[in-house]
Amino acid sequence: MSDRKKGAASGKSARQENRAASRAANREAVKVGERPPYLGFGLGLRPPHYRDILDGNPNVDWFEVISENYMVAGGQPLAMLDQIVERYPVVMHGVSLSIASTAPFDEDYLDGLNKLAKRTQPKWISDHLCWTGVHGVNLHDLLPIPYTCEALDHVISRVDYVQERLGRRLCLENVSTYVQFDQSEMMEWEFIAELTRRTGCWLLFDVNNVYVSAFNHGYDARAFLNGIPADRVVQFHLAGHSDMETYVVDTHDHPVREEVWDLYTAALERFGPVSTMIERDDDIPPLADMLVELDHARALAERALGSKRPARPTAA
Amino acid sequence: MKLKDFQDKFQRAILAGDDAVLKGIPDGPHETKENLLGIYRDAYVLRLIDVIAADHERLHTYLGDDSFRVMARAYIAANPSRHRNARWFAQRLPEFLRSHAPYAKQPILNELAALERALNDAFDGADAPVVSMADLAALPPEIWGGISFVPHPTATCFEVSTNVGAIWTALKAGNEPPPVHGSETSRHILVWRHEMTPLFREMGAEERMMWVEAGKGTRFADLCTMLAVYNDPGSAPARAAGFLKAWLDAGLLTRVVTERIGAQ
Repeated sequence: MSDRKKGAASGKSARQENRAASRAANREAVKVGERPPYLGFGLGLRPPHYRDILDGNPNVDWFEVISENYMVAGGQPLAMLDQIVERYPVVMHGVSLSIASTAPFDEDYLDGLNKLAKRTQPKWISDHLCWTGVHGVNLHDLLPIPYTCEALDHVISRVDYVQERLGRRLCLENVSTYVQFDQSEMMEWEFIAELTRRTGCWLLFDVNNVYVSAFNHGYDARAFLNGIPADRVVQFHLAGHSDMETYVVDTHDHPVREEVWDLYTAALERFGPVSTMIERDDDIPPLADMLVELDHARALAERALGSKRPARPTAA
Repeated sequence: MKLKDFQDKFQRAILAGDDAVLKGIPDGPHETKENLLGIYRDAYVLRLIDVIAADHERLHTYLGDDSFRVMARAYIAANPSRHRNARWFAQRLPEFLRSHAPYAKQPILNELAALERALNDAFDGADAPVVSMADLAALPPEIWGGISFVPHPTATCFEVSTNVGAIWTALKAGNEPPPVHGSETSRHILVWRHEMTPLFREMGAEERMMWVEAGKGTRFADLCTMLAVYNDPGSAPARAAGFLKAWLDAGLLTRVVTERIGAQ
């Protein structure tokens, strides 16, 4: 073996050893797995809003950052992120974990998540209950899972692994789906409920995605809501969708629709106060418009929760 | 069907239009399974077109929307993403435009893509301190001959055959771009980030030679010698000093390495 290959091989095995050592050290932290704090009402951090946030001190309690946007070497993204982190609690939300894929994990990506977490000290780290590709390909989409016992066991083992690599419990989001599978052995909420019970992972309950999936598959969104263990839900997403009449698409390019606000109220009544965030990924309006929507979420929470709502977020 | 086999089939449905996975998918309550699977198929392409468009605004304007979308679809079909981060998806677009018909016949397309790629890479490239003229002036003059330089990590230089810089600048300003001009002599573009802003300029042949040699760690005295061989020896030190000052003023250097004192 050439010296260069030997060097590369010893570098690779050193990284593997370090990762294995971290996992072993992290097991206790994952086992304890304290519930993340209640953060209040937040927004997705989006570049068009950077200056208004940093100059304006808007009425936002926290921000969700898209992990991949800040897994870069330097420049404006990290400079802005550092300023946001100084002033606001943040959570990290990724799109590339591909937890349900049968392809091996991208270990460099997990290292990257850990590196970003050291920088941002997130209150939790989330990604989606889905897969994004196999055979080294990334389809850059949140792809559906057949809800089988085999898939459940597979995802459980993957979540256990990731939790040890990250040294914390993972938070997983229910995705919007457009197809179902004959081979599914349970409903989506039963799959999620069992997953959270067996791994201790948290749940990012995307209210809009529940509405979208329920419409597309013809089930009652309230059945989904009632099927999730209440103590695992640590975050809500609220977002807009596009109504195509015979199906609904989770496009995140509209304000939150009335049907989703109604479901949000029902979710508050079932789960109690949960850190709430509005997602907008396309046709991003001025920050002021997002703040109006966020205030509407606050008002609905006030009405639904009354005295049960925390007076202020419990974490700085 | 095992999960692995299902994921193989589903991915082939999206990448290759293979319908085998439809056998296990029921119709929805309001829509056929073909159209529901089509949502994933359409979203795959449309999402990646948006990624390319976000990275290549000037190329998009230059080609026009219809032609840009045709080009983007061809790139997507030829280059399934192998990156975790969509930020890197269009990395190979300049190479694709250089090597694929009909785009290969128009060098301006791959050069515009390359310039945009370099600016994007500079935008979120590594942070590094910048050496100033004052930093250099603080060094004793007698050691100047022995100093060498480390370029800023975001700096990159590449060869072009067209007036792509002028075309990019016109497109950015919302103006009609000038006609494409080729050149008999080679041209080079230097791209870097100054503070938070990606910048570029053209680099003449002599300056480019000095830049490349400086990036290899060649000492300043030897750079002056090279310039003297290249052209008028009498003015070579002044020309070298002029290039060096321009690099310092632009924030193009991150370190000065001295032979006796050590790195600054």
